[in-house]
Amino acid sequence: MANSMKIALAGNPNSGKTTLFNAITGSEQYVGNWPGVTVEKKDGILHGHKEVVIQDLPGIYSLSPYSIEEKVSRRFLVEERPDAILNIVDGTNIERNLYLSTQLAELGLPMVMAVNMMDVVKKNGDSIDFAKIAKALRCEVVGISALKKEGDMEAAELAVALAKKSAADKGPNKLPDVPHVFSGSVEHAIAHIEESIQGKVPARSIRWYAIKIFERDREVIKDLGIGVGEMKHLEEHIRDCEKELGDDAESIITNQRYDFIKSLMNRSLALNEKRHSKATLSDRIDKIVTHRILALPIFVVSLCAMWWLAVAEKGPGTVLTDWANDEFLADGWHLPFTTHEVDGKDYDAAKEDFAKAEATVKAWEAGEKKASIEDEETGEVADEWDIDEAAYKAAKEAEEPDPSKYGVWVPGIGALITGALERAGVSDTVKSLVVDGAWGGVATVLGFVPVIFIVFLFLAFLEDCGYMARVAFIMDRLLRKFGLSGKSFIPMLIGKGCGVPAVMAARTIENERARRMTVILATFVPCGAKTVIIAMFAALFFREQWYVAALMDVVGIAIIIFGGMALKKTRLFSGEASSFVLELPAYHMPTVSGVWHHTWNRLKGYILKAGLIIFPACVFLWFVMHFDWSLNLLGDEEIEKSILHDLGSWIAWFFAPLGFGSWQGAAASVSAEIAKEQATATLGLVAANMGGATTGANIQAFFASISAFPKLAALSFMLFNLFVPPCMVAVAVTFREMGAKKWGWFAVAFQLFVGYVISLNAYRLGVLFAGGGFGFWTAVAILVDLFCLWMIFRPAREERKRQ
Amino acid sequence: MTLEAVKEGERARIVRVNGDEAVKRHLGALGFVAGTVVRVVGTSYGNMILAVHESRIAVNDATAGNVEVDAV
Repeated sequence: MANSMKIALAGNPNSGKTTLFNAITGSEQYVGNWPGVTVEKKDGILHGHKEVVIQDLPGIYSLSPYSIEEKVSRRFLVEERPDAILNIVDGTNIERNLYLSTQLAELGLPMVMAVNMMDVVKKNGDSIDFAKIAKALRCEVVGISALKKEGDMEAAELAVALAKKSAADKGPNKLPDVPHVFSGSVEHAIAHIEESIQGKVPARSIRWYAIKIFERDREVIKDLGIGVGEMKHLEEHIRDCEKELGDDAESIITNQRYDFIKSLMNRSLALNEKRHSKATLSDRIDKIVTHRILALPIFVVSLCAMWWLAVAEKGPGTVLTDWANDEFLADGWHLPFTTHEVDGKDYDAAKEDFAKAEATVKAWEAGEKKASIEDEETGEVADEWDIDEAAYKAAKEAEEPDPSKYGVWVPGIGALITGALERAGVSDTVKSLVVDGAWGGVATVLGFVPVIFIVFLFLAFLEDCGYMARVAFIMDRLLRKFGLSGKSFIPMLIGKGCGVPAVMAARTIENERARRMTVILATFVPCGAKTVIIAMFAALFFREQWYVAALMDVVGIAIIIFGGMALKKTRLFSGEASSFVLELPAYHMPTVSGVWHHTWNRLKGYILKAGLIIFPACVFLWFVMHFDWSLNLLGDEEIEKSILHDLGSWIAWFFAPLGFGSWQGAAASVSAEIAKEQATATLGLVAANMGGATTGANIQAFFASISAFPKLAALSFMLFNLFVPPCMVAVAVTFREMGAKKWGWFAVAFQLFVGYVISLNAYRLGVLFAGGGFGFWTAVAILVDLFCLWMIFRPAREERKRQ
Repeated sequence: MTLEAVKEGERARIVRVNGDEAVKRHLGALGFVAGTVVRVVGTSYGNMILAVHESRIAVNDATAGNVEVDAV
């Protein structure tokens, strides 16, 4: 658009920027990433002004390149030069907020300062003289309350008017009026620098550039191509200043900026002193929440709450997931409160009776004297009973119960698709492709939405009310020992639900080393999909070992701890104990729309990403399972002719040391990379010809057929699928969050190594202790263990250097 | 003395900030500059929460040890 106008929305974190952005742009938002980095980029169309784009910059404290956010913001402001800046400022903490404002003003762009939270300022009995601030900073100043939607549109429209006026009467090259905030000698040096860079920079922003050069900002000096000789000349002026003021240039600028703000505040801010000397409500809450003894129990309780909400048995997350997978996306469901019994039985009971009748018919016709049904999730025999001719005849008469007789029946999406295809009379191949392949893929993605939605909702609430920042503060001491940051805990929390949002949540960690380590380690926490694998194996192989399921969580945590210790000692992740600086926003009740925006934006990202990856992968899996190389559609019993069989055979050798080096084990493990719970589904299909009566028996028979120690082979298979790289969606996100491809490959290699070694140990050492003897791979396992122990417990790099 | 020595509830005036340039710059932006008075709102195993201007900033012991202060 030729006549489009760009307005940058800039301000401190927690200044109400997001609230203002949502209020003035509404739903017309476009979310993406800033080029090359994973910082979220949002822009939106201003209400009622189709030609005006509001560019939401990340929340920042200054324009120096401390964090990725600051780099991104200043690059945008300096290079794209928006038509105006809308600077949002927290009126209750105006002194600190003005630090950024003075820097923005130096850019020389038309600027409107929106002083937010004016309702609170007034309630506190404080008053701010906007006219004095406007005069000192050479910008327009207005008071708003973003939360109450007071003055927000007016502020935005003022910025539009200012941009238009500036374009009309000044032109881009006229020198603007910018505030002069520094003392005589500094201003003198800056004037010299301005003189020498004239013509090299946009005239309006010359002062901003000059100050950055005074601060010896490497990025600016490089970008402007200032040579060594030229810089030497400028250095003289800078050094004179430093000598005179007894401080380094950067500190001089920071200090004088604050001096300027302080004197401005003395003139324009009237504080209600009585109120400000008191501890705030937020401080009093922190006394308890960050208390040295109470902090941890409080945190554990909130953790358990999330756990229960998202993944606990019979918790809302599980109930919703079951409803989504078994009813909404499958056959259908009854509207709540409309169900009633027919002939003294509810629908579930009637359905089970019919399933039994079907099983009876099938068994009798196969010439058997017993019939059974199996549990869908574990593949075990759920019920078994004797049958005779009378029972067979009665069963033959049984009719499938009609769900609509039991209440208001809403057909499931799966059933609707199947019905539509049947009515259209398509061939079996097409039906199988659509139902088992395409729809199966979509349903897999959507089936996890409830859990992820609940986790996101809960976390958005914790973040918006301010508690999440405290969690990072509380956990920092412990996690620093493993090379992580206090902020690493949040991704691991999320990882219990799903690894994809977990990896994305690592973004908030500024320290790059800690952030990368968190991305690599967070997905070792067994996620919701992995719970499906654990449940099946625990039921089929470890009935007596009740602790196996819990043990898997412990193994995951142990990997994070020891993995962290080992990584921290490598060249890639070593370094000084990282500093921890984090603003703790005042506690406040989150708004519904704020939490919703937060949750939905993340959820949308997951659905799109997962849909783009899992969907085609499921179609591919369906294809290789149902076709042979000549593209003949295969029956259920013909899987050994399938393409999948051959693909599995080619890579089976890789799994041989782990005890399940057959095509079935290989195929199941590889398909688990599409989505983890595929491990059980694929295993059930590829083991179908083992001759067992049920899927569970088939899987047991399969492991017995490939190893003299079937339990150990099964354990090895389970461990492998839990602790190798997560599903491909999480891997894709890992690659993105790690920044560079080589880092993504490093993460995957590390995860594959860990999973392989754990699996190798479980099988080979297990066989050794079970009396199966010492072999080549036993020796390899022990050698690898020694290597790992050395990696974990050797002295840190810093200590090694000192010696 | 450094911030580490300041007890809960006490105030101190910042004299200078040492340590890593990037962290120093970040602290400066948050208001940790010479002359600013900060109050220790709470401590937890060496980590502390500080009141700086109207905001609350959490720092760990390593960071607190880099901030030189005077008693007020």
